[in-house]
Amino acid sequence: MKKQLRHAVNAGGIFGIITIFLFLIGFTGTAADLFSDLFRNKNAAPFLSLNPQMLNMLIFLGLIGLWAGAYGSRKSKSQTDDPWGAALIGGLTAGLVHGLLVSGLALLVGTLNLRGVRINVYLSELLPDAIKLFLVGKSPLQGATVHIVFLTLTGFLGGLLSRGVGRGSWRVRSGAAWNSILEKISQQSIVKQVRGSRNTRYVVYGILLLLVFLLPLRAGPYWNYTIGTVGIYVLLGLGLNIVVGLAGLLDLGYVAFFAIGAYTMALLTAPQPHHLMWSFWIALPIGVLLAALTGLLLGAPVLRMRGDYLAIVTLGFGEIIRILSKSDALTPFTGGPSGVKAIGFPTLFGKPFNSGVDFVYLIFLAVLLIIFVTNRLQNSRVGRAWEAMREDETVSRAMGINTLTQKLLAFAIGAAFAGLGGALFASRNVFTGPEDHNLMVSINVVAVVIVGGMGNIPGVIAGALMLKGLPEVLRQLEDYRVMVFGALLIVMMLWRPAGMIPSARRKMEVEKDKGVIETPDEGRGK
Amino acid sequence: MAMLEVKDIHTYYGNIHALKGISLTVEQGEIVTLIGSNGAGKTTTLRSICGLQKPRTGSIQLNGEDLNSYKAHQIVSKGVAMVPEGRGIFARLTVAENLDLGAYTRNDRTAIQEDLERVFTIFPRLKERQRQVAGTLSGGEQQMLATGRALMTRPRLLLMDEPSMGLAPVLVEAIFDVIKAINKEGTTILLVEQNALMALSIAHRGYVIQTGQIVLQDTAANLKNNETVQKAYLGIE
Ligand SMILES: Nc1ncnc2c1ncn2[C@@H]1O[C@H](COP(=O)(O)OP(=O)(O)OP(=O)(O)O)[C@@H](O)[C@H]1O
Ligand SMILES: [Mg+2]
Repeated sequence: MKKQLRHAVNAGGIFGIITIFLFLIGFTGTAADLFSDLFRNKNAAPFLSLNPQMLNMLIFLGLIGLWAGAYGSRKSKSQTDDPWGAALIGGLTAGLVHGLLVSGLALLVGTLNLRGVRINVYLSELLPDAIKLFLVGKSPLQGATVHIVFLTLTGFLGGLLSRGVGRGSWRVRSGAAWNSILEKISQQSIVKQVRGSRNTRYVVYGILLLLVFLLPLRAGPYWNYTIGTVGIYVLLGLGLNIVVGLAGLLDLGYVAFFAIGAYTMALLTAPQPHHLMWSFWIALPIGVLLAALTGLLLGAPVLRMRGDYLAIVTLGFGEIIRILSKSDALTPFTGGPSGVKAIGFPTLFGKPFNSGVDFVYLIFLAVLLIIFVTNRLQNSRVGRAWEAMREDETVSRAMGINTLTQKLLAFAIGAAFAGLGGALFASRNVFTGPEDHNLMVSINVVAVVIVGGMGNIPGVIAGALMLKGLPEVLRQLEDYRVMVFGALLIVMMLWRPAGMIPSARRKMEVEKDKGVIETPDEGRGK
Repeated sequence: MAMLEVKDIHTYYGNIHALKGISLTVEQGEIVTLIGSNGAGKTTTLRSICGLQKPRTGSIQLNGEDLNSYKAHQIVSKGVAMVPEGRGIFARLTVAENLDLGAYTRNDRTAIQEDLERVFTIFPRLKERQRQVAGTLSGGEQQMLATGRALMTRPRLLLMDEPSMGLAPVLVEAIFDVIKAINKEGTTILLVEQNALMALSIAHRGYVIQTGQIVLQDTAANLKNNETVQKAYLGIE
């Protein structure tokens, strides 16, 4: 108990300092603005004499308060039992300490303001709105009281929530009436059937898919552009995932194939520099095939190398393609440094299919197709051979696997995916140039695969959302964008070292004690 | 005609002359053991036979067919399987997936299923642990897996590189019992061993290799009684 209290006080203290720090750097105000964008309540009527901005700030503080409470109520490792009382008192204490510290700041800021001391003048000139905000527009004493009560309350709630939800009480735990009810429900045959059946999964996927497909209609051009970019990175990520995640070949020049796809689309469909102006639908498969072919051509000499050498050579190849596309000598062929403009767009039944929404759908379609293909590959003989090769190349040869062919195959398929991504990218942007295909693209794709979780499809999607979607969401934070993004990345890699959605294998590698993979046996080439 | 006929092979690692004219034969149905001290060239001999390290000169014939022009992965489908030194299992794949890969070159589904059952009867432990990631198996279990995986290729000739390495005496005996049983069922075996006493007790014939050359060859019983062998490899003074 004593230990728990000490822990709670500590938690409250730490969170108090965090809250004060966030306030002093003006982040609290920014967060409030972000919420007001999110809730679209900028012009809402005041609630309990609080204007929307103050409400938003309190919501933000409330979240931190909940967190503090949850953290403070956590039982210590040595404790075996986990009584409700202790958890609640922990949450309450953490909240109280948190509130005391923060209201201390509120008082300080407020009273300094009243007496006109110099530092206060300085502060209130610097952050006049913020201070008003922080005092909730009231007198210092009232403002401080609001903070204490509010943070204590949220701390208590946080304790409650974490005890109730976080510790598996939802799962089967005898005793509590709530659980026995849940248990009863889940034992009903219908519920069991619904939960157990494949179809439920498909229904859930279907609903998700439907939501995703409805999204572009509501999202507006800016978000559609972002969604499209995320989709293209999913394509790239899935392609690289085959090369790196399955076959274990570290390819750092992956952008080369993206560029080949993009330039094929550009040069075949644009009026300049070749005046070919072929149809999008002809240029698309050519782009994919050319990328795959380049993969084969590059792979044949290079894939005999192992590990680091391969990484360096492919890295160079990526740059070579970009430099070639930029070079003066090839300008008549590639459009040179200024790139290719007026790239063709798809038509559907004779009508142009090129609005922002159309492209999002096109990219979705490509992503679905590639997910399907990847899924089939992963569970095939070929996929198994890739994994064996990644594990031990020599032994896989002794098992009868032709490693050179398999590597080439992985390389070409990965390249084809990138070519598809590049072609769509060029057509959507109407323009492409050398700088669209710089090293950063390769690095980003590698990051997507690693952050998301190497070796599986949901991981790659999550990684693309995180690395390509989140920065756009965070754009609202303006100056703090990069900081918050960086912090999130670090937190994530600490929290989930094997990626956001790791494949069972990667997970087991990081958590060595879990040796059994729960894979369904379906679809294996027995 | 011997099943395997190795004639005067010279194998190099770059400039290192590892095998200096090895010749040996293995007859259909035999267990032949290759003993020798560390670095003598036992592993290299096996790697040469299964094509992982091609000899520069000399010939290797399997049932009269020259293996020289075949790559390692092609030799597997000729019926030569290897249990590599240090087991060489695919650590991050499951037991079942490892065994699956053993049958990589085969398409005969029903026969593969039969062989899987056979492996599971030989090593019941593997059946229990099908879903377990191979890297988390114990050393003995990994050896079983490597052996089982090689059996999944349905080999006519099985090359085994130190199957007893790092195993407790009880397990060593169990593994050797399995080797005998596999042989009884008709698989020819070329067995490389440090544990010469055990190897000679189950083998029909043996070769002694020293710094890349065969220095002695005889029936297993004779080798066991040979004074030099006793001194050098059996620890008998
Ligand atoms: N990859 C390699 N590169 C260079 N030299 C090698 C390589 N592998 C083996 N050798 C050398 O070839 C010789 C024979 O090695 P080999 O592995 O065949 O010995 P071994 O009889 O299997 O020994 P051990 O009982 O220790 O396994 C040794 O001198 C070794 O150093
Ligand atoms: Mg050896």
